[in-house]
Amino acid sequence: MNKLTPIILAGICMIVPVLAQQSEQDYSTAQSGVRFAPLHIYIDSGNSSLAAYQFELKASAGQIKIVGVEGGRHEAFKEAPYYDPAALAKDRIIIAAFSTGSDLPKGRTRIATIHLQIIGETEPQYELKLIVAADADAKEIPAEITFEKGEI
Amino acid sequence: MAKRKEHFDEDMDLGIPSKLSADLNTLFQPQVGVPPEVDRAVMDRAHKHFAGIKSGKGRLLRIHWAWRIAAAAAVIILAFSLDLTKQTTPTTDRFLLSKTQAADIDRNGRVDILDAFKLAKNIESAGPAETEWDINGDGLIDRSDVDVVALAAVRLDKGVL
Repeated sequence: MNKLTPIILAGICMIVPVLAQQSEQDYSTAQSGVRFAPLHIYIDSGNSSLAAYQFELKASAGQIKIVGVEGGRHEAFKEAPYYDPAALAKDRIIIAAFSTGSDLPKGRTRIATIHLQIIGETEPQYELKLIVAADADAKEIPAEITFEKGEI
Repeated sequence: MAKRKEHFDEDMDLGIPSKLSADLNTLFQPQVGVPPEVDRAVMDRAHKHFAGIKSGKGRLLRIHWAWRIAAAAAVIILAFSLDLTKQTTPTTDRFLLSKTQAADIDRNGRVDILDAFKLAKNIESAGPAETEWDINGDGLIDRSDVDVVALAAVRLDKGVL
């Protein structure tokens, strides 16, 4: 009994803060409201074929967490793009992809979808910047990047 | 059938005169009485001895409890100092960080997806390769080197916004 007492006390002291923090998180989540929503990213490369792109997205207002990234609609960018895994659970990400194939999209095409966890009632605002877009010769081309909020 | 052994020490009458018997008894009778001063001295020493043991045992118990409390306190401090609910996030491979310069394939001073794209095109066309394009150092210039360059391009700590 004498030996067990400090062990039990220590166990309680370790478990209580964890449970308290967890319940606090659950409470705040329940209070603030959490929803998930996709964000579709489009690039309009005009008459040029789009062979490579890189862009950065971050939330300028509201609270979001990036929970997943998937590829685009066109076959050339269907595979999941490159991104830093450290961006998951954060509100900022750099995404890039290329295709060495001959079938490349032109005009406006969906290149990626970012899945977001939106926390709170504030509607998030996004800052989206196209870093580079290139054609099949790896030459930079003018292009416009836009996003559309999706619904689940 | 069993032969009875005879004993000669107590039961037999040896014919000793009663005077001699009494003298012998007086001479060899053990001293059973303990003088009171000896008795007190023995008791005093016993008390002192056991009192010492008792106080030493108490000290030992206190030391044991002090250690237990110290250990429990250390565990509590450790539990509070560690944020056990903190989630570890995946981090970019350190290898990538050290290879950032080598990943600038087109040598334009920045690493972006075009470096990976150009390297991929070069590999697919079997064009001339430079040894420094072996980014991952495995002795081959292949798709895995392209992946390393692309991952270096999207590293989060090099953002532009």
